[in-house]
Amino acid sequence: MTAASRIPRRSNAWLLPAAAASVLLSLLAAVFLGVVDVPAADVVSVLTGAGSPEAHSIIFEIRLPRIVTGMLAGIQLAVAGLILQTITRNPLADPSLIGVSQGATLTVTLFLLFTVYIFDPGSNTVAELPVAWLPLAGMVGGMAAGGIIYLLAFRLELSPLRITLCGIAIGAVLHAIAIGLIAGWGSARIEIILEWISGSLYARTWDHALFLLPFTVAGLAVLPLIYRPLVLLQFDAPVARSFGLSYRRQFSVLLLVSCALAASAVGVVGPIVFVGLVVPHLARFLAGRHFALILPMTVALGAVIVTLGDLAGRLAGGAEEVPIGVITALAGVPVLLALLRKTP
Amino acid sequence: MDARKSVIAIALILAATLSVILFGLMPGARILSLHDVLRVLWAPDGRIESILVWTLRLPRSLAAAVAGAGLAVSGYLLQALTRNPLADPGITGATAGAIAPIVACFVFLPWLSSASYPFVGLAGGLAASAVTFWVARGGNRRPLHLALGGISVSLFLGAITIYVLLLAGPQSTALLFWLSGGFQGRSWAQLVHMLPWVALGVAGALALHRVVAMFALSDHAAAGMGLQLNVWKPVLLILAILPVAGVAPIAGPVAFVGLAAPHMARLLGPKGAAWEIALTAAIGALIVTCADLAGRTVAIPKELPVGIITALLGGPVFIYLIQRGRLDFKAQQP
Repeated sequence: MTAASRIPRRSNAWLLPAAAASVLLSLLAAVFLGVVDVPAADVVSVLTGAGSPEAHSIIFEIRLPRIVTGMLAGIQLAVAGLILQTITRNPLADPSLIGVSQGATLTVTLFLLFTVYIFDPGSNTVAELPVAWLPLAGMVGGMAAGGIIYLLAFRLELSPLRITLCGIAIGAVLHAIAIGLIAGWGSARIEIILEWISGSLYARTWDHALFLLPFTVAGLAVLPLIYRPLVLLQFDAPVARSFGLSYRRQFSVLLLVSCALAASAVGVVGPIVFVGLVVPHLARFLAGRHFALILPMTVALGAVIVTLGDLAGRLAGGAEEVPIGVITALAGVPVLLALLRKTP
Repeated sequence: MDARKSVIAIALILAATLSVILFGLMPGARILSLHDVLRVLWAPDGRIESILVWTLRLPRSLAAAVAGAGLAVSGYLLQALTRNPLADPGITGATAGAIAPIVACFVFLPWLSSASYPFVGLAGGLAASAVTFWVARGGNRRPLHLALGGISVSLFLGAITIYVLLLAGPQSTALLFWLSGGFQGRSWAQLVHMLPWVALGVAGALALHRVVAMFALSDHAAAGMGLQLNVWKPVLLILAILPVAGVAPIAGPVAFVGLAAPHMARLLGPKGAAWEIALTAAIGALIVTCADLAGRTVAIPKELPVGIITALLGGPVFIYLIQRGRLDFKAQQP
């Protein structure tokens, strides 16, 4: 046996309960704190079924839906990031670095621009736009961008690094087109588009959470099924094949799962950058090398980080809240740059 | 391709650029005949044709040519400096670095004159590309790191820019128009603002073509030939960012020109760095002039921002470069 195996293993038994507790704590903090000062006693009475109607509507119609939406989106983005990082063997993969977010941005923009002409030619007001369809539009775009990247990379034997570079190229092109369209035709829709692009949980309702829920549940449900291929895809293709893995098929399935998770989340909350990148690293840092532990940690931390980031944005901005996308970009970039610098 | 052929190639490309500019004076919301255009060019008067040509169409076309030449040379310098075929002002984060502080100044420091925007852009572009290069350790052997580092720096600055736009409220429409990159309504004054920065970058690159050529070999070779790396690297980086700093406040980001033009120039195979730089500048001018012409004629009376056209043009070049398989990816395998 090697020397390494004799080193006593640090006990990780406390990690999962701690993660669950932090999810709960962040949920509580997000429910109790907000721009509108609802006294803690009122919140408690609302949660137990009593309380004033104002407090009730603040908690149940404003805070809780956005918290739940954020948690679901955070989980999806984090798991998508973990899968991408593992199968591309690139520690820096992230839905917003490989073009999925930009694809979603483009379709959301297109959707907003065209629906104005189709639905109600005379009107430019926000209220009459079919905003409820935005998540679906974004998801379709994200999946399409993922598909293009997959097709390009398929010709390159699914080489992990080229997938990343293709993603960057596609992402840059799609982003440029989206910004151009916004500038050329955006006029009255600029505010919605801008808010969406910056990645925001502002005014998210139970409908948004319900849209995400099936994806989150399905994504978490397939995790046990994709666990083994995920572990094996950490290795080079020949090694993975030698374990009996059908490399191409499993790679494609995992890429599909990760794109679906990321695209649906981006459709609802906009491109919240770097969550998919930073959370898996945090999970690995805490959980060590045990994949069985990294996965649940990624799920929990995804929920926690988005909830806390959104809470920080709500409290920091006052009436003009800071979008969560800005918070995660500010917090995530230093982490990313340090990581990039360290990776060989 | 020897020197004589290079001269011919450059002359042909410049002639093509000029004719695109000339014929580009004709189409628009009001279509002018070639005869009218030539007449007003020769003898400007106060009539509508003259105003269309002299104050609307000519300055923007010239601005497009100048911006194209500047961005192309900037891309050439960045590629030589990093010996990385994927380097360009956009990929290294320099463009986003120039854009973000300018947007912030526009919104938060409205008293700041627009003449100082290039300086702001220069500082921002230098800082952003310095971070990217630091992350990629120079970027020589790590094309992926350079791209990822640049993209993440750009995403970071992009998030800030979007947030500033959200804060800006009604001003955001004008800013977004500028952010999409384009030359609509650019005036002689703006052309004059941009010109010295681009001229400085291009002239500097041409003057230092020997240094550039040595850098293109390897750091060791350059040092072996007596080059002070820690002096010349920053000098070349500044030279590369100068055109970006000049172009960004006027035209916004014009994507992928800096990436595509140098590769096209190299495909022609001129001999020596000086000819490559000159060809790159000429090709860049031609690309952006054509893109500008396409952008304003495809969807009359609306305008497509030139950034879209260049992105559609340059994106495939980027993907071709990745697929061609000349990048050294072995070093990046974890």
